[in-house]
Amino acid sequence: MAEEPKIVVFACNWCSYAALDLAGTSRMTYPTNIRVIRVMCSGRVDPQFIIKAFKEGASGVIVAGCHPGDCHYMEGNYKALRRITFLRRMLENLGIEKERLRLEWISASEGAKVPKVVQEMVEELKKLPPLKLKVEG
Amino acid sequence: MGEKPKVALYWCASCGGCEEAVVDLAERVLDLVNLVDIVFWPVAMDFKKSDVEAMPDGSITVSLINGGIRLAEHKEMVELLRRKSKIVIAYGACSSWGGIPGLANLYDKEEILARVYFETPSTSNPEKVLPQTSVKADDVELELPEFLIRLQPLHQVIDVDYYIPGCPPTPDVTWKALQTILSGKLPPKGSVLGASEKALCYECKLNKTKPEKLLLKDIKRPHQVIVDPNKCLLAQGLLCLGPATRGGCGALCINAGMPCTGCFGPLDSVYDYGAKALSSIASILDYTSEDEIKKALEVWPDIVGTLYRYYLAASPLGGKVRSKR
Amino acid sequence: MSEEPRVGVYVCHCGLNIAGVVDVKQVVEYAKTLPNVVVAKDYTFMCSAPGQQMIKDDVKAQKLNRVVVAACSPSLHEPTFRRATKEAGLNPYLMEMVNIREHCSWVHPQEKDAATEKAKDLVRMAVAKARLLEPLDTIVSKVEPCALVLGGGVAGLEAALDLAKRGAEVYLVEKAPTLGGNAARLGKLAFSNMRGVELVKTLVDAVKSNPKIRIFTNAELVGLDGSVGNFKAKIKINPRFVNEKCNLCGKCVEVCPVEVPNEYEFNLSKRKAIYLPYAEAYPPIYVIDTEKCTKCRKCIEVCKPGAINLEDKGSEIEARVGCVILAIGYTPYEPYKGEYGYGTSPNVITLFQLERLLDPTGPTKGQLLIDGKAPNAMAFIMCVGSLTTSPTANVYCSRMCCTTSLKDILEIKEQYPDTALFVLYKHMRTYGRLEERLYEKASEKGVVFVRFEEPPKVKVKRDGIELKVYDLLTQENLEIPVDMVVLAVGMNPSKELEKVRSITKVGCTPDGFVREAHLKLRPVETPSDGIFLAGTVSGPRNITESVISGSAAAAKAAVLISKEQVEVEPIIARVIEDVCSGCGTCVAQCPFGAISIKEVEGKRQASVDAMLCKGCGTCAAACPSGAMQQANFKDHQIVAQVEACFR
Repeated sequence: MAEEPKIVVFACNWCSYAALDLAGTSRMTYPTNIRVIRVMCSGRVDPQFIIKAFKEGASGVIVAGCHPGDCHYMEGNYKALRRITFLRRMLENLGIEKERLRLEWISASEGAKVPKVVQEMVEELKKLPPLKLKVEG
Repeated sequence: MGEKPKVALYWCASCGGCEEAVVDLAERVLDLVNLVDIVFWPVAMDFKKSDVEAMPDGSITVSLINGGIRLAEHKEMVELLRRKSKIVIAYGACSSWGGIPGLANLYDKEEILARVYFETPSTSNPEKVLPQTSVKADDVELELPEFLIRLQPLHQVIDVDYYIPGCPPTPDVTWKALQTILSGKLPPKGSVLGASEKALCYECKLNKTKPEKLLLKDIKRPHQVIVDPNKCLLAQGLLCLGPATRGGCGALCINAGMPCTGCFGPLDSVYDYGAKALSSIASILDYTSEDEIKKALEVWPDIVGTLYRYYLAASPLGGKVRSKR
Repeated sequence: MSEEPRVGVYVCHCGLNIAGVVDVKQVVEYAKTLPNVVVAKDYTFMCSAPGQQMIKDDVKAQKLNRVVVAACSPSLHEPTFRRATKEAGLNPYLMEMVNIREHCSWVHPQEKDAATEKAKDLVRMAVAKARLLEPLDTIVSKVEPCALVLGGGVAGLEAALDLAKRGAEVYLVEKAPTLGGNAARLGKLAFSNMRGVELVKTLVDAVKSNPKIRIFTNAELVGLDGSVGNFKAKIKINPRFVNEKCNLCGKCVEVCPVEVPNEYEFNLSKRKAIYLPYAEAYPPIYVIDTEKCTKCRKCIEVCKPGAINLEDKGSEIEARVGCVILAIGYTPYEPYKGEYGYGTSPNVITLFQLERLLDPTGPTKGQLLIDGKAPNAMAFIMCVGSLTTSPTANVYCSRMCCTTSLKDILEIKEQYPDTALFVLYKHMRTYGRLEERLYEKASEKGVVFVRFEEPPKVKVKRDGIELKVYDLLTQENLEIPVDMVVLAVGMNPSKELEKVRSITKVGCTPDGFVREAHLKLRPVETPSDGIFLAGTVSGPRNITESVISGSAAAAKAAVLISKEQVEVEPIIARVIEDVCSGCGTCVAQCPFGAISIKEVEGKRQASVDAMLCKGCGTCAAACPSGAMQQANFKDHQIVAQVEACFR
């Protein structure tokens, strides 16, 4: 019995959180799988949070920030790019497929990108076998 | 009444270095022997398991247990020592976080046994003989402890009171920790003893040579750099984990020109040592494009081994995650 | 916090916007089951007066110390509920708002059950964070009502004037011995009868008669501490060796034995080691170029007023200012030796040198002569040092060169009607209301325009200069023999910029100019609060545009320094000193220069300047030991949300 994948989304206040708002204001619809955690900047997202999310039961994690060059705090998203890219490789070595961690640049006006990203990720996650975090035996 | 505190030492999946570390107390070990009564120490003294079973519960003042929990026998023994001890201390990196043996959690039990007993180049085992937990031979039942599916740090198996970090803990750290315990003024449960509350950089003599802005152009392996022993190793491009690692060891490795590998483990407010270390390293690499990042990754084939070298078993994921098939 | 959290949860219906999809009553009942939740209610419009009153009443009656509001987006009403919480007697940062409208009911209208479950999850996450919230106080700093304007060119002069007119004390600091900047070196300006010097004089006259402006020439900024509203600027006044007793008699110049290229004239003529850049310069005091001076003291012998003192050591002052305006200008692009023949012939000159030559008070008194005769033919090569036309060229276009060149071309045509004029250009950008007319007039007067893609080749011969170029529009190879070539060079960032940057810690764009806070909406501000930009320091612009930006910078700066105090939102980073090892990872993470390493008991320790921190949290994520935490977004607060997402 497949459970719906739960996706934790870290959204930066200025761009991606606003894009999520815009998707709502525009009454776009998308799957119910995401849970948003608001941060001021994608640069705040510590890889520890992401590991914790997987440990607690997340099927996928999205870190959403401003497009490179547009970060409200100048460079936070570049730091996020470095950290998440490295983390994705490390997670792969730990058995967590690279599809499970996405870094998305969503500007405040890109409300339409939200349903697209969520839909895509839910579909991709459903193709993967569920993560087995508890080791039995 | 003036009875000397009773001390037990036990080793699980261990290299023996932690036992050495106690011996390395050198002259201080004689002081130790005068201060305490060692009631169980398989590596050095001839007490048996039955001796421990015979002790009243809680009668051992402190048990120092090193090594990770890999076999059913380890589990049994540490559970026994827990019952018999007032205080249990995870001594060294392996019992605290799984240590290097914890890296075995990147593999299945089947994969490990296959590698050891079938695949290594120098093994000849055409009949694919594997160790069994029980075997009958000539009317005798031989038993081997079960190889558990994962290596666990001590606190995932029994209740642990304190931790002494290091691979192995240095003599100074060991001595300081023991003094704390024997002083009677016990710190809050779960504390790390004998070491610093700050990362290694605080006590490293090279910290003050760091540039104002710590940014690296690339990562270098130790064999790729002629190390300047008077300049911060991280600033020279070596992956020194000093900033992410608890101090207290006196920066022994750095003083010998080698970058810190993280054996004193995380600081208190860190949830996952490997992820935190990864964050700080990725942060100081001065790249803005995905291509630059991918190139750096090519130079660094074993991120998990580098950053979780001592900590994998204790990390939130505990090892390689398996997908349900 | 030592006391037990007592959380009040308020679920808004928002009319039917939320309640039409999410079963708000179920969410409320669920919230009541969460640990530490003392009261949970729902209401039609939480943002309304009665809605807010409900919170205030409950805080008092139920002794709540945390508030969770599940409603619309915090971008709409977080300030509303922070205010309500404050009016209820609680610290406003003990309120957490969670979005169950834009992020839930509005996007899952057909999935009521799933939306309700999601709302419950979100409320549980908000309560988890709320339990761990801490009171925060807005950070306040008093503002010095003074300004430092760095740079005495047209932009800096305009900015200083505008600020002084508003009553602010202004320190105007100029590195050169006299005010005026690059504009004072230009000849007759486009669309004006003024020469550069005359335009500058208009501004300088107003500046020198304004008692609020303190002028420091031959001076530079050597240190800048502090932050918005409260800067401590260290200004070094370099020794001039001549004081106000100087009466400009010029006898010292006559006897000075040292002759060096005159940089004011772009090296077209020579000056002495003791000099005044140009006749109308302000302050009207000679200055000695200490690097070239041989200390022969002949000048002292002939100086009747006794104004010369070779032992002058200069001085240093400290200015406490509320803001800094950077107006350090640009440096013209200098072609390398051999670029289009530059440096191999006196008849290949830059546009700036041409300005000096055409200036009636310039080194040739406004004459353009080769061996005493007007040139037969002249060519202007445009876009030199711009548009990637050479290995050392900039990528960008410098805006002003086309207009300036065409203005000069029309002047030359006027003065020397028989001289053939050619303009070889990659692009022709006479943009604006009046400028296109220059191009039309030039064409009407027979100036030949040749468009190139491949830069022209210049061969300097003994008896002239030969140009070879492929005309893109007529698609033919052209050979043009001329006597003089003018290279229309663009603007490079000021050569002083590197030093100024390291002192003020402002950021730069990839092409080397100072970066503005936002290209369109905040063009005269920098990400460093309190530091503003005027003129060409942030990119090429003409005199009109520079003056406009000077006024704009003054207007922005005035808003800041007219306040009594400046407030900073407290969701900033802070170092936990007991944990910080001084590893220094954080310093480079901050683009605002808010983090520095200080020494405490002989050891390094990170420290955050609360006035500069913008609260992004990047440093906190980078800190390898968890010593750096961002208020309201601390590790344990976010981890609590992650955990609560699942249990």
